[in-house]
Amino acid sequence: MKFIVSSSVLLKNLSHINGVVATNPIVPILENFLFKIDSNDEGGVLTVTASDLQTTMTTQIPVEATESGAIAIPAKLLLDTLRSLPEQPITFNIDTETFGTQILTDNGRYKLAGENPIDFPKIPAVNKNLSVEISSDALASAINNTVFATSTDDLRPAMTGVYLQLSEDQATFVATDGHRLIRYRRTDIQTSANTSMIIPRKALQLLKSSLPDNLTVRAEFSQSNASFSFGPTQLICRLIDERFPDYENAIPTKNPNVLTIGRTDLLTTLKRIMIYANRTTHQIRLSLKGNALTLSAEDLDYANEANEKLLCDFEGEPMEIGFNAKLLAEMLSNMHAKMISIQMSAPNRAGIMVPADKDENEDILMLVMPVMLNTYA
Amino acid sequence: MTTNTVRKIIHIDMDAFYASVEQRDNPALRGKPVAVGGSRARGVVAAASYEARTFGVRSAMASVTAKKRCPHLIFVPPRFEVYKGVSAQIRRIFDEYTALVEPLSLDEAYLDVTDYRDGNVSATEIAKEIKAKIKADTGLTASAGVSYNKFLAKLASDYRKPDGLYVIKPGQGEAFVEPLSVGQFHGIGRVTAEKMNQLGIHTGADLRRQSEVFLRRHFGKSGGYYYQIARAVDDRPVNPERIRKSSGSENTFEHDLFTPAELEEGLRPLIDDVWDYCTNRRIAGRTVTVKVKFEDFQQITRSKSALSVILDKPFFERLAYGLLESLHPVPKGVRLLGVTLSNLEPLDELEGRQLTLDF
Repeated sequence: MKFIVSSSVLLKNLSHINGVVATNPIVPILENFLFKIDSNDEGGVLTVTASDLQTTMTTQIPVEATESGAIAIPAKLLLDTLRSLPEQPITFNIDTETFGTQILTDNGRYKLAGENPIDFPKIPAVNKNLSVEISSDALASAINNTVFATSTDDLRPAMTGVYLQLSEDQATFVATDGHRLIRYRRTDIQTSANTSMIIPRKALQLLKSSLPDNLTVRAEFSQSNASFSFGPTQLICRLIDERFPDYENAIPTKNPNVLTIGRTDLLTTLKRIMIYANRTTHQIRLSLKGNALTLSAEDLDYANEANEKLLCDFEGEPMEIGFNAKLLAEMLSNMHAKMISIQMSAPNRAGIMVPADKDENEDILMLVMPVMLNTYA
Repeated sequence: MTTNTVRKIIHIDMDAFYASVEQRDNPALRGKPVAVGGSRARGVVAAASYEARTFGVRSAMASVTAKKRCPHLIFVPPRFEVYKGVSAQIRRIFDEYTALVEPLSLDEAYLDVTDYRDGNVSATEIAKEIKAKIKADTGLTASAGVSYNKFLAKLASDYRKPDGLYVIKPGQGEAFVEPLSVGQFHGIGRVTAEKMNQLGIHTGADLRRQSEVFLRRHFGKSGGYYYQIARAVDDRPVNPERIRKSSGSENTFEHDLFTPAELEEGLRPLIDDVWDYCTNRRIAGRTVTVKVKFEDFQQITRSKSALSVILDKPFFERLAYGLLESLHPVPKGVRLLGVTLSNLEPLDELEGRQLTLDF
C-alpha cells in the first residue's frame, strides 16, 4: 500500500492532534498514530487518529492513493522526521504483512516499524442526545476563562474538569479547585434541552490549542461522551462521571463591601507587591478604607515588606482581607474588562470579582477564598 | 500493676512560652513587656511575657486593650514554626522518660512516670531533671507539677510559676483543693465558674459540700467530674494517643422528638453551645458529627468534614442541619441529640492558611 502527501500539510495536521498521545500509555499501541487511507476517484483521504483512551482526536488530510488500508505508525518518530524535513511531497510505502513502513523523500529513505492497526482501540461512538453549534471564538473564550481554575487533585475528580450546563437561553461553564471558582456564562450558546456534564481538563486544553478562529464547532453530547467537530478535525472525550459540587450555594450573595478599580492598575501594583510576599503562602493584604486601597505584603523570614496605596471606589465598612497574590493575579490577567469590582463581606469569606461593565454576550464571575490574616478571628 | 497503685503524674508547662521564645531570640526584648500577636486594630494577644502580665496583659486579650493597660507594650508577630520546633525539642526530652506522654498543646504535656525504669528515682527528681534539660537544650524555663493524678498535677504546675516545681503527695490532695476558687480548676471555665458562684459555690470546699445529684442536675455529665475533682479524685489516664480534642454538646429531651422541625429546634442550642465554646477558646474544627439516640437507645452518628477549618457559623449550621436532614424521616422517637466539632486547630496557627470553598 502506498500514498503520497505533502510533508508540511501532514506535519501541521499531526501537530494538532499530537497532544493526545501520552508519553507512557498503559497500552503501548497508543504511542502510535492510526493511519487509515481511503482511496477514491479524486485521489484519497488519510484519516489519522490519536488516543489516550479518555480522549481521541481525528483529522483528515487529502492524499494521493490508489489503494485503501490502515497502519499504526510510531508518533514521535514520525513527527521528529517530518519536523526536520524540508517541505516536499513524500511517499509512504507500507508492507501490510509486516507493517514495515518506508518514507521516501528527496533527501533519502527512512524505515519505521509500524504496528497492526487492528490493535488500535476503537473510537467511541457518541450516541448523541443533544447537539449544539458554537462559534470557535465563543468556545475558545469559554475554555480560556475557566480551564486554568480546574483542580489537579485526582482525589476530587469532579473538580478536574469544567462543568457545563446547557439550557434554552444560556450556557454556563464552571471551574473550581476549591480555592477559587469561575462561573462563565454565554447567552449566544443555546440548546433545545437542559443538560449538564463535566468535561475533563485535558480534553479542553487540547481543544483550546487546536481550535481555529472563526469557524463553527459542532458539539454533540451523549450520557458518557462529548464530541467536538470543526473543519476536518474531531475530538471525542469521555465525560467525568461525578457529581459537580453545589457551586451556586458556595457563591455568597450578601457582599456589602464593594471595591471598584482599574484592572491593569491593580494588576501592576499587585505584581510589584507580591515580590515581597511569603514564598509559600503568597499572602498579601488588602486594606480598604474610604477611597483608598492599600496593598501590602511582608515576608517575616527575610524581613521584606512592601506596600502601595491606590485610589479606588469603595463602598462599605473599612476592612482588611488577605489573599493569595498568585490566585488574584491569575484572575486579574484572565479578566478583560477595564474596570473590575471585588465584592466582599468578611475577611474569612469569599471575594467575588466581576467586570464593572457587562459584556453583551458573556457574564463572568470569579470567586476567590481569602488567606487568613493574623489579626482576624 | 494493680489498680490501687498510686500513679506518678507530671504536668510540664512552659513559662509564657511564645513570649519567652521571642525574648530568648531577641535580647532587646528581655526584661520588657512583650506581647506576641498582632498590634493592629483587630489584633489579639496570643501570649504575654511575665513583665507584661504585671500590667494585667493576658493572652486572648484584644491588642487595643492590652496597649491601654501597658502603653509601652512591645508587640511581636508570632513565629509558629519556631514554637513548633521548640515543642519538638521538649517532646524528645519527655520521650526519654516515658512512652506515656499526652501533649495538651505546643507548650504543655502530661507524663505518666509510674513505671519509670529505675524505681528508686522519685517523680520529683524526674521533674527536676526534665526542667534542667529543657533549660539546657532550649534556654527556656518550664514549671512542673507532680502528683498522683492529672487534675492535681496541673494545679501543682501552676502553683509556683514561673520556673516552679511543686508536689502534691497522696493524702494532701483534698486539702490542697479546698481553699482554691473554682475558677482555677482545669475543666471549669468562666461561664461554669459564674454559674457556680451564683449557686453559692466559690471554693473547692464549697464544691465538696454539694451532692453528686445536685451537681449533675445543674451541670449534666460534667457534674460528675466536678464531684470527683472536689475530692481530688481524677482517674483519667495519661493518653498518648489523644489527638486533638473535639468539642461536643448533647441533650436528652424530656419528650421524644419526631418531626424535622422539632429535631432542628432541638439541635439549635447544641450548635450554639459548641460554636461558643470554640470561639471562646479561639479554636476551630473541620469535622461535624451529629449523634442521634432513639427511644429504644439505638444510637447512630453521621459526620461530614469540610475541606478546611470551619470559620463561620452559618456553614457549621448548614453542615449540622444537613446531617440531621439526612436522617429524615426518623423511624422512631429521638430521645437524645448531640453535635460535635472535631479536628480542632487553634485559630492563631491559621495565619497564612488558604481558605477553601464550602463544598
